[in-house]
Amino acid sequence: MALLTRTRVHPPELLGLWLLLAAVPVAALPHAWEQPPWVFAVLMAAWLWRVIIHATNARLPARWVMVLLVLAGGTLTFAEFGTVFGQQAGTALLLVMVALKLLEIRSQRDIVVSLFLSYFVVVTTYFFNQSILIAAYSLLSAWLITAALIQVHGGRVLPLGRLARSSGLMMVHALPIMLILFLVFPRIPGPIWGSPHEDPIGQTGLSDRLEFGDIAQLLENEATALRVRFEGPAPPSSQQYWRALVMTDFDGRGWRVDRSRPEIPADGDGPGDVAYTATLEPTRAHYLPVLDFPVGIPDQARLLDNLQVLASRRVDSRLQYAGHARLDAPPAWPLSADERTRALALPATAAPRARVQAGLWRAAHGDDDTAIVQEALQLFAGEPFRYTLRPPLLGGDRTDAFLFETRAGYCEHYASTLAVLMRAAGIPARVITGYQGGQWMDAGNYLRLRQADAHAWTEVWMEDQGWVRVDPTAAIAPERIETGLSGWFGEDIDAPAFLRRSGLPWTVQWRLRISDWHDVATFRWESLVLAFDPERQRELFARFGLDATDWRGVLIALAVSLGGLGLLAGLIALLRRPRDRRDPAQRALDRLSRRLRRNGLAREPHETATAYATRVRAARPELADPLADFAQAYTHLRYADLDAQEREQFQQQLWRALGAAKG
Amino acid sequence: MRSGKLNPARDPGLRTRWGRLREDFVRWVTRRHQADGRRARVTRDRVYILPTRQGYMLLLILLVMLLGSINYSNNMAFLLTFLIVGIGHNAMWYTHRNLLGLKVTVLPVKPAFAGAPPVLALRLEETDGRPREALRLAAGEQESPPAFLEPGASVDVAIALKPRPRGIYHLPRQRLSTRYPLGLLEAWTWLTLDTEVVVYPVPFPVASVLPAAADGDGEAAAVPNARDALPDEIRDYRPGDSPNRIAWKTVARTGRLFVRDSAGGDAAPTWLDWDTVQDPDPEYRLSVLCHLVLEANAAGQPFGLRLPGQRVGPDAGPEHLGRCLRALALFGLPGRSPA
Repeated sequence: MALLTRTRVHPPELLGLWLLLAAVPVAALPHAWEQPPWVFAVLMAAWLWRVIIHATNARLPARWVMVLLVLAGGTLTFAEFGTVFGQQAGTALLLVMVALKLLEIRSQRDIVVSLFLSYFVVVTTYFFNQSILIAAYSLLSAWLITAALIQVHGGRVLPLGRLARSSGLMMVHALPIMLILFLVFPRIPGPIWGSPHEDPIGQTGLSDRLEFGDIAQLLENEATALRVRFEGPAPPSSQQYWRALVMTDFDGRGWRVDRSRPEIPADGDGPGDVAYTATLEPTRAHYLPVLDFPVGIPDQARLLDNLQVLASRRVDSRLQYAGHARLDAPPAWPLSADERTRALALPATAAPRARVQAGLWRAAHGDDDTAIVQEALQLFAGEPFRYTLRPPLLGGDRTDAFLFETRAGYCEHYASTLAVLMRAAGIPARVITGYQGGQWMDAGNYLRLRQADAHAWTEVWMEDQGWVRVDPTAAIAPERIETGLSGWFGEDIDAPAFLRRSGLPWTVQWRLRISDWHDVATFRWESLVLAFDPERQRELFARFGLDATDWRGVLIALAVSLGGLGLLAGLIALLRRPRDRRDPAQRALDRLSRRLRRNGLAREPHETATAYATRVRAARPELADPLADFAQAYTHLRYADLDAQEREQFQQQLWRALGAAKG
Repeated sequence: MRSGKLNPARDPGLRTRWGRLREDFVRWVTRRHQADGRRARVTRDRVYILPTRQGYMLLLILLVMLLGSINYSNNMAFLLTFLIVGIGHNAMWYTHRNLLGLKVTVLPVKPAFAGAPPVLALRLEETDGRPREALRLAAGEQESPPAFLEPGASVDVAIALKPRPRGIYHLPRQRLSTRYPLGLLEAWTWLTLDTEVVVYPVPFPVASVLPAAADGDGEAAAVPNARDALPDEIRDYRPGDSPNRIAWKTVARTGRLFVRDSAGGDAAPTWLDWDTVQDPDPEYRLSVLCHLVLEANAAGQPFGLRLPGQRVGPDAGPEHLGRCLRALALFGLPGRSPA
């Protein structure tokens, strides 16, 4: 232990130091994916340096070296982020400082400071990732850090098993307090300072613009987009259209969202409506997918007159919201002149052949818009149109090329082309994107919609019915709508593995199964933990008749819950108290001695019961009889060979005598 | 040690004003405790607990964590922060329990000579069936290395006190403390065990003094060494006879207790007299006498010690040695030091 001459660290603390050296990389590991590579490199370099110091019995770096390193670390962080505050830069700085602290641990106190900072490192992990896997992982980190803390204060090299057990037990015992504080500690909505998310990360999933191929591209993306739990039975798949974006403006190539629509009041839910709770993965956009047709919307969202729902804040973290839907009838809302114009607009040069076709239908059916819609759907179903994963590339005017040449496309090809045909025939039409189908997760009792379940369909304006949903995909590939993507692509060897129903190697099957379990766990975690917000807290308090926004309500809740916990802990401690293992006769003798102590007549440890009784009798002659009885009973109970009946007799005599020998 | 400062009650910790205040406070807190005697049990009503500096440091870090959790409305950060709050809170209970129910017994103190550190030995016993870690026992300003106990076990803890001048010391108070498991809190108890530490004078080797003194004193005889040559006289055991003198061979033969009686004519006791040593410094005299007492004891001879106004013996054996050394340790000091 020559290295101890260099630092004031004794063997028990040395083991604590090694545990710290194990805990720091474990606690910092999740940051490796979030921080610039140099941050983690600095951490590992400092760590390695410290290990080498121990292996070679080298000196710790001099103080001026440390000063330079700390300055360099701060400068580097500032150069990278332009600040040292905020989530990203602050965490980077913390990691660098934890790394450098490793190089100047000289005493027990330094180890303890490093361990406290390691707890902090674990907390900062959650600024970037709140998944259940990270939760489980950070429990491991916290367990290691706590074990190191115990060892540092253990006074000796503790057995590893006891160390592991103690650390684990401490965490388990802390759970009730954690739970109570989590539920009761007052929650304030919104950030106190700064913006919670500074880093722009590319948007995935649906976008504001739709062109041919955009949704087909999402087919490979098996990430979950939306999880939904229904309050009653889930409606049939063919009626579940999750409406996200409504696109009215067509420029000949693609569609664009119209966001400037006026806001309308929601109808409010009525009987027969479907109530659901959806959990949306971060989209970094404002849209909220809602079940068609929305009649009840979440509190912090707006309903536009094209029935698109927008959140008041960009969805940068997982968001849970509740909604109500009326499956059959859209709310009746008149079509404004302005909207009618926009829903009929076609660029002058767009789709000349389609316009001719639409003109023919109009000529044939006169005013019958319904018949024209039927003609278009007949065209898709009757002619050799294909619904395919890999639509061919299109040249020239895309609508015409698809409609008259390739005739192979994905849902956005059909939805867009139908809308163009309708507009050409003078029927207002628009394209909706959202999600359709999905996978029912029995284990979690919820519907899982992946990015791959993205879908596009059409709405047309019928003078007598208002906007009516027309899904051309239902005409060409009804299985896609009725049983989801795998209903159509389940046997297609080109389809992504998660859609296929057969012919998969067992490794892939297991990967998919694990992915399903993970999704269920994530959903549970989300609804149990992450969704708890000021609003949930208010509901919870209200259930007990308390007001969460009033400090008195919070105080009452804290006092009652923590007090109750304390009482419970006290009760458990009382029940688990070591039982009095003394013999009943011995207990009576001790009690007698305690009683007479006040008179200075406590029994000396060496005195037998008889000797004691004799001595007391000398001082208190009035107790002579009970004392004699007591001594006799005691001696018999302790030393004589008694049968059950005699034992009972002497017991009674003993307690009677004890009662009579009142000081 | 030969300086004039001989008041054993003066504790260096009491010299400063803060030290005195602290002492008064501790005395005020512990005034409700009964004196413990030779044994004490750490009961609930005498365990105190307060956060340590590390405890306050963690509190500060938790506060920052909490602010971060609130600012970013991060539920998992809330969870971990509150988990550590729970761990810190429960540490109070663990630390308390690490001390509670221990039994402390004073072991006989090995005598020490002035100049050498007297060692106070205490036995810690675990009877509640849980392991105890990192227990520290302090007496005066000295603290033992950390001790640990397996369930039901006991351990002897030695505290090497500071070397002191001769005398009898009663350490007024002992402090049993622990910071296990996390060092966030310290639980402690004050014990008022009856610990008597006797410090003998330093033996000062002056071999030549003994025969000269024997000549000069009529009653004292030169150290005779012819005892072994004479056959021992065997007589019946009488209560009070030293067990060292039991004639075990005869006992084995006859089944009765006999002792070897060596109080023969030329085994007259040697007297070690205060006046044997002529020196104006009483401490020097005591040191020389201490050496002579040890020497005479090593010779296995009956001997007596005469100090002004005091006479020990004549006798032989370890108890007698103890009495003589104690008389030397206490000589000229004002009774027992205040507790």
